[in-house]
Amino acid sequence: MGIKSFSRARAIHVMLVYTGGCNGCDIEIVNSILSPRFDAEQYNVFLTWNPREADVLVVTGPVTYHNRKPLEAIYDAIPNPKLVVAAGSCALMGGVYKNCFADIPSEEIEGPVENIIPVDAKVPGCAVRPQDVLAGVVSLLPTLLDAD
Amino acid sequence: MDEKVPRSKIIETEIPMGTVHPAALEPYRVRLFVEDEIVQEAEITIGVNHRGIERIMEGLPVEKANSLTEKICGICSNAHIWNSCRTAEMGLGIEIPERALYIRIIMGELERLHSHFLYLAHGCEVLAHETFSMRVFYLREIVMELLAMIGGNRVQYGCSVLGGVRPRCDLDESKLLRLKEDMDKVEEGLTDFANRFTSDSIVMSRISGIGVLPQKQALKLAVTGPTLRATGVARDLRTTMFEYDNFDFNVVTQPDGDVKSNLLIRALESFESIKIIRQAIVNIPEGKVVNRDWEMFDTGINESYIEVPRGTLYHSYALESGRVRHSIIRTPSMSNIGAMQYACIGDQITDAQLSIVQCDPCFTCSDRTIEIIRR
Repeated sequence: MGIKSFSRARAIHVMLVYTGGCNGCDIEIVNSILSPRFDAEQYNVFLTWNPREADVLVVTGPVTYHNRKPLEAIYDAIPNPKLVVAAGSCALMGGVYKNCFADIPSEEIEGPVENIIPVDAKVPGCAVRPQDVLAGVVSLLPTLLDAD
Repeated sequence: MDEKVPRSKIIETEIPMGTVHPAALEPYRVRLFVEDEIVQEAEITIGVNHRGIERIMEGLPVEKANSLTEKICGICSNAHIWNSCRTAEMGLGIEIPERALYIRIIMGELERLHSHFLYLAHGCEVLAHETFSMRVFYLREIVMELLAMIGGNRVQYGCSVLGGVRPRCDLDESKLLRLKEDMDKVEEGLTDFANRFTSDSIVMSRISGIGVLPQKQALKLAVTGPTLRATGVARDLRTTMFEYDNFDFNVVTQPDGDVKSNLLIRALESFESIKIIRQAIVNIPEGKVVNRDWEMFDTGINESYIEVPRGTLYHSYALESGRVRHSIIRTPSMSNIGAMQYACIGDQITDAQLSIVQCDPCFTCSDRTIEIIRR
């Protein structure tokens, strides 16, 4: 284990990006990491808002038209190795917003997240449960720790 | 306070924040025009989150459209589905069983509790006081579990349906008992938090007199909800709603309109919500929870206003052979944006985010319609 992965194992930073969902998933994710009930900090997982510091990017929401470029910029700003978790039905398949009236795709929605950046783990649910988010992030940890 | 009126000269230093910013949960853009670190003018731009819910609702069967309105906001989802159902019920003249009204009020007040707790937790986090934030998040968890117990999901519970509430959300004896016990727990925790918070002189001196919104300006900007009541105007739509006729509660006001008043009013309103839930638990009538005995017919534009955790929510749509037409939704944060801009003026840049957060923004709700102008 190199010194980089040794230090990374003690502080995994998760960045949450919100791309136009309904707020439900975001609060549950903030809840799962910050709140004392679920407490992701026991797995050395911390919440950050700085892409330069982040290791895991958690994306929620069906990337709206105006959010596509910020999302790409944030993804590019994260140093390697980086992993992406798509959380919530919207991030996985566009949710209820993807199609307006049957199969006509909505012009506002660019998502799902897979169309824009590569996704490593998917957490389903509308809204996601904090337990599932924790499971999703923790399942990525081995990949991150074996990176270099 | 009238010297806070923006001056007409050109300010050259601009500090943009957003659309993705550490202190803000949601994407929005703030431009602060500053002179010597004092904010002289602020501008909030939203529109990044626009998903076009009204367009998706157009032409959907009314039952589907109702459950879609829930996806407007993840914080006050019950308020949206409640008001959307209420709109159709008022148009079609559907009689709602008394028990269903009580369950709706219990859900609505629980939602107000969790929304206000989220506000307090987020406010303390922006204040950089994580201990208080954690304490409120812990309290909020009790409410979230109650909501999950009644509705089956932690966020979007889908409680109201046309003519009442879903049979899943009916409250039996054991659920009412747990609700009663947990209300005691929440009240105890909240009292403890409020005592600690108000007796902490460092926090109180940090938040007093910051982000002041004068009463006159608040009325001029048509601010709604607790943000308006924090400036001393006792205006609450719950006093006019027929659902709340049998309930006894006070409309809480605070005098100053600063961050302190805004934080305190949410805490005090939470106590009123606990009071309403307790009354509902004691007085909940027996009977069925949903009235399926109604007929669909075409109506003109139906409107409904209710009081939600952030202020006044407006839904309107017409019904045409059971389908939704010309839907309009107006959320409280839309009219509170003016308050957020005004509250920033005259304070340090450091306090700008606090001044915005004090108005309880929910820009996800607010990104409503984009008007396309063809030239």
